[in-house]
Amino acid sequence: MASDEVPAGLWLIGIGPGDLEHMTERARSVARRCKKRYLEGYTAVLPTEQEALLESVVGPWERMMRPSVESPETLLAESRNDSVALLVVGDPMQATTHIDLEARCMEEGIGFEVIPGMSATSLAVSLSGLQSYKFGRQVTLPYPYGNYLATSPLEMILRNLESGLHTLVLLDLDPTGMGFDLPTPMSPSQAISTLEEMSSKWLEEGDGLDSTSVVVNEWEGMLLSDVGTKGQRVFSGSLEEISKIQYGWVHSLIIPSEMSDNEREAFSRRGAM
Amino acid sequence: MGRKEDNIKRATEVMHNRERIRNLAIAAHIDHGKTTLSDNLIAGAGMMSEELAGKSRVLDFDDQESARGITINAASASMVHGVDGDDYLINLIDTPGHVDFGGDVTRAMRAVDGCIILTCAVEGAMPQTETVVRQALKEKVRPVLFINKVDRLINELQVTPEDMMARFQKQIIKVNDLIRTFAPEQHKSDWQVDVAKGTVAFGSAYHNWGITVPFMQKTGVNFPEIFEYCNNEQQKELAKKAPVHEVLLDMAVEKLPSPLVAQEYRIPNIWQGDLDSEVGKTMVNCDADGPLSLMITKIWMDPHAGEVAVGRVYSGTIKQGETVWASGAGKAERVQQVSMMVGGDRIQVPGVSAGNIAALTGVRSAAAGVTITRDKDETPFEAIRHYSEPVVTVAIEPKSMKDLPKFIGALRSLAKSDASLSVDTNHETGEALLSGMGELHLEITIYRLEEEQGIKVNQSNPIVVYRESIAADNKGRPFEGKSPNRHNRFYVEVEQLPENVIAALREGDLGDGPIRTKDAKEVGNKFGELGMDKDLMRKIYAINATTVLVNDTKGIQNLHETRELIIEAFNDVCKKGPIADEPLTGVLVRLVDAKLHEDAIHRGPAQTIPAVRNAIKGALLRADSVLFEPIQKIRIDAPSEWAGGITRQLITRRGVIEDMPVENDVTCVIGKMPVAESFGFSNDIRAATQGRAVWNTENAGYDQVPPELFHKIVGDIRQRKGLKEEIPGEAQYTD
Ligand SMILES: Nc1nc2c(ncn2[C@@H]2O[C@H](COP(=O)(O)OP(=O)(O)O)[C@@H](O)[C@H]2O)c(=O)[nH]1
Ligand SMILES: [Mg+2]
Repeated sequence: MASDEVPAGLWLIGIGPGDLEHMTERARSVARRCKKRYLEGYTAVLPTEQEALLESVVGPWERMMRPSVESPETLLAESRNDSVALLVVGDPMQATTHIDLEARCMEEGIGFEVIPGMSATSLAVSLSGLQSYKFGRQVTLPYPYGNYLATSPLEMILRNLESGLHTLVLLDLDPTGMGFDLPTPMSPSQAISTLEEMSSKWLEEGDGLDSTSVVVNEWEGMLLSDVGTKGQRVFSGSLEEISKIQYGWVHSLIIPSEMSDNEREAFSRRGAM
Repeated sequence: MGRKEDNIKRATEVMHNRERIRNLAIAAHIDHGKTTLSDNLIAGAGMMSEELAGKSRVLDFDDQESARGITINAASASMVHGVDGDDYLINLIDTPGHVDFGGDVTRAMRAVDGCIILTCAVEGAMPQTETVVRQALKEKVRPVLFINKVDRLINELQVTPEDMMARFQKQIIKVNDLIRTFAPEQHKSDWQVDVAKGTVAFGSAYHNWGITVPFMQKTGVNFPEIFEYCNNEQQKELAKKAPVHEVLLDMAVEKLPSPLVAQEYRIPNIWQGDLDSEVGKTMVNCDADGPLSLMITKIWMDPHAGEVAVGRVYSGTIKQGETVWASGAGKAERVQQVSMMVGGDRIQVPGVSAGNIAALTGVRSAAAGVTITRDKDETPFEAIRHYSEPVVTVAIEPKSMKDLPKFIGALRSLAKSDASLSVDTNHETGEALLSGMGELHLEITIYRLEEEQGIKVNQSNPIVVYRESIAADNKGRPFEGKSPNRHNRFYVEVEQLPENVIAALREGDLGDGPIRTKDAKEVGNKFGELGMDKDLMRKIYAINATTVLVNDTKGIQNLHETRELIIEAFNDVCKKGPIADEPLTGVLVRLVDAKLHEDAIHRGPAQTIPAVRNAIKGALLRADSVLFEPIQKIRIDAPSEWAGGITRQLITRRGVIEDMPVENDVTCVIGKMPVAESFGFSNDIRAATQGRAVWNTENAGYDQVPPELFHKIVGDIRQRKGLKEEIPGEAQYTD
């Protein structure tokens, strides 16, 4: 394999969401031809049985957690003289923190190249049946931590609603916020109760937006579970119904704004599934 | 015993008659017989069987005391005593026998109007007698004298009657010197004790007899007779003719003031409020109607009722079921039970009126020194500190890991009943850091853990708690702290807080903890009144002990959302500064700018907390970090011949001598010394003066560690804590 090794540098490779079948030919080939491979393990996750297959697809790999990615001294040192693949579930540039790797490599004159992958977010939009051009800024719902509870994600949803835009809501994977451990994805019921807590905190400190729209438990939503895997599911209904859902592992949520007739029909069809 | 029930009934009746109440304490040196006397007074008054007296020690609630031979907690006991057909209620408050519990002695003395100075006929007044008497006189408590263990003089030392008289004379002169020196100006002469006037008694607490001149006149018992009874081993008969409780309680009733008399001159001395206000007048008049004012002297744990608070009622009547405020508490509380302490028994009553000692349950925020009132804003007897500044720490752990849950629970309740104790427990390793006001304070706490809770512990040597601060500022040179993902940046400047503000923070006048957004304006104004920039201080985020955090940024979107995380980081640094992980003091932390990631998920706890922590620590280093050490004020009295030895002791311990007044051949050395040098001082000073020195220490704030010792001290702390040897530089916090 050494003969067709790719040039030294850091190769940031997207492997697609949920199932290795989503990995592009180019991603597979570059990953295989790198000298060393890491799987970034905290911004997104692969189901265990897919992880088990990864070695047969790309060769031996190691897991890399948040501290080593955010303080990437070792990673960069290795990439200086060798080809190193950092495999990221989904599309690598969707997780904003990785843009920093590009900057560090440029600064230090280390080769850097991105191999895009299919992202869970674009997949979610496809599966929703809603029009992609009607989505506003996407948000991530963080786990509450002590007295800390971010309300800006809720504000963003409200702002999208005001502009007639749908919101794709990704759910936090790490209740500790530290990124040391393997992810614990937020469940649908945790997500809905976090939204409710945000709305009551936001109303309490309330300034700005119209408070009447913040009746979270009367909202409609669409839950997308384990997208990209063979067991992916989509469900639409009230947030209350969604909060009772027990199946699935990694979820994301869509809060639709005003829907066109076509969208409304697509939405209803998913309620029946 | 029928007599006991009868006494309880009489006690609850006479309680309302203010002229017939006496509140008193016994001031004595260790082992001179305070406990024996207390028991015999209580037994003699019919509150306990006579057989048990001298053996069971009603007043020593804590077993620890019997074992150590010192009395640590002030509990109380009431008894009824008849004089000329009238019942009197005697409330006896026990005082701690050790001078290091200064606060407790003061509070016990504050609760009484009179005291019996108890000396040993053989040894005379000793250092601790002097210290306790001094405290009593400062609180305007009127003294009488009881010379105890006279039986030993006769039976063991076999002195002649003349010899005995000469000895007594000498002791009385010494006590009167003390009174003349420390009594309030107007009572220096009329509070002198005098055999002829019946303010001096002699006797044997152990053998239960006593005598005064008035009692001799009344009964005809005289000194030759006493010699005879003692020599013939007939002290039991003597005790029947001249029972100690009768003699001493007579003396208390005749010579010590009732609360009605005493409160008139004592209240202006012990209470700082407006004497012309309604509550002021009610207290001066010891009025049972009108506003309630009660000062707690002691909290103890009743195995059945839980926490019991004991205190003196100065005005009004405390009633079962009513709602009261404890000074410094956040909410009103309901008084579940009101009781009188009769001997070892807590007797429930509907209410306890002005001039008496009451025991309460249900008032959970009561603590020693707290004032209980009905009106939230009444002036308290003492300012309540919201936090304490412990100066000494020991590490302890249970010897057996199976005691761990019990250990953790016991520490929690100890911390609650003692405001000056702070406990930091590691629930996994079982190691706890116990921090308090001094070496002995911690020793006693550990003793309680071992003896009362039966948990044996391993302990480290005592360690001084240092404080980190700054000697300059980094204004205009903010320090940038980055989050691990480098998408969030915080900029911090620090500066010293003015002395008066630090003092106000220490007193708790400005609060402690996070400041709610809606309170920030008001809190900021208070800082403004102390001379600080009001507009800046209205942007306050949090106070941690004597360090303050303000958000001095302008218009940064989403910053408010990370407020809790910023405060958490600030609290982390307040607990552990950059030099040696020691607590911070006297710093104003200003967040001057910030750059935040747009998405909340990338500016969560794992990002914001380390970024702010780094920004503050870096700023502190940039502003010239320094280390402070706790200092104690010390006062040592000893015959002048020992003054040289004392000053030498102080000097070798980095002490500073501030004054050395001499009076009647007693030199008083006044100075200060670092707490770090005080361990073992008590042994050395005893050796240097053959035990003739009386001394007292008091925590007195912090001084900067001398530059020549800085590196050694910091090095020792860092090594002990397992930190890297060298102090991190700014660079440590830039990334
Ligand atoms: N011979 C004699 N011994 C006494 C007398 N009073 C107390 N004692 C003894 O002195 C010791 C200390 O007494 P205690 O009441 O515990 O002293 P405290 O430390 O002041 O409470 C005990 O052994 C008592 O029995 C007394 O009048 N005569
Ligand atoms: Mg005792």
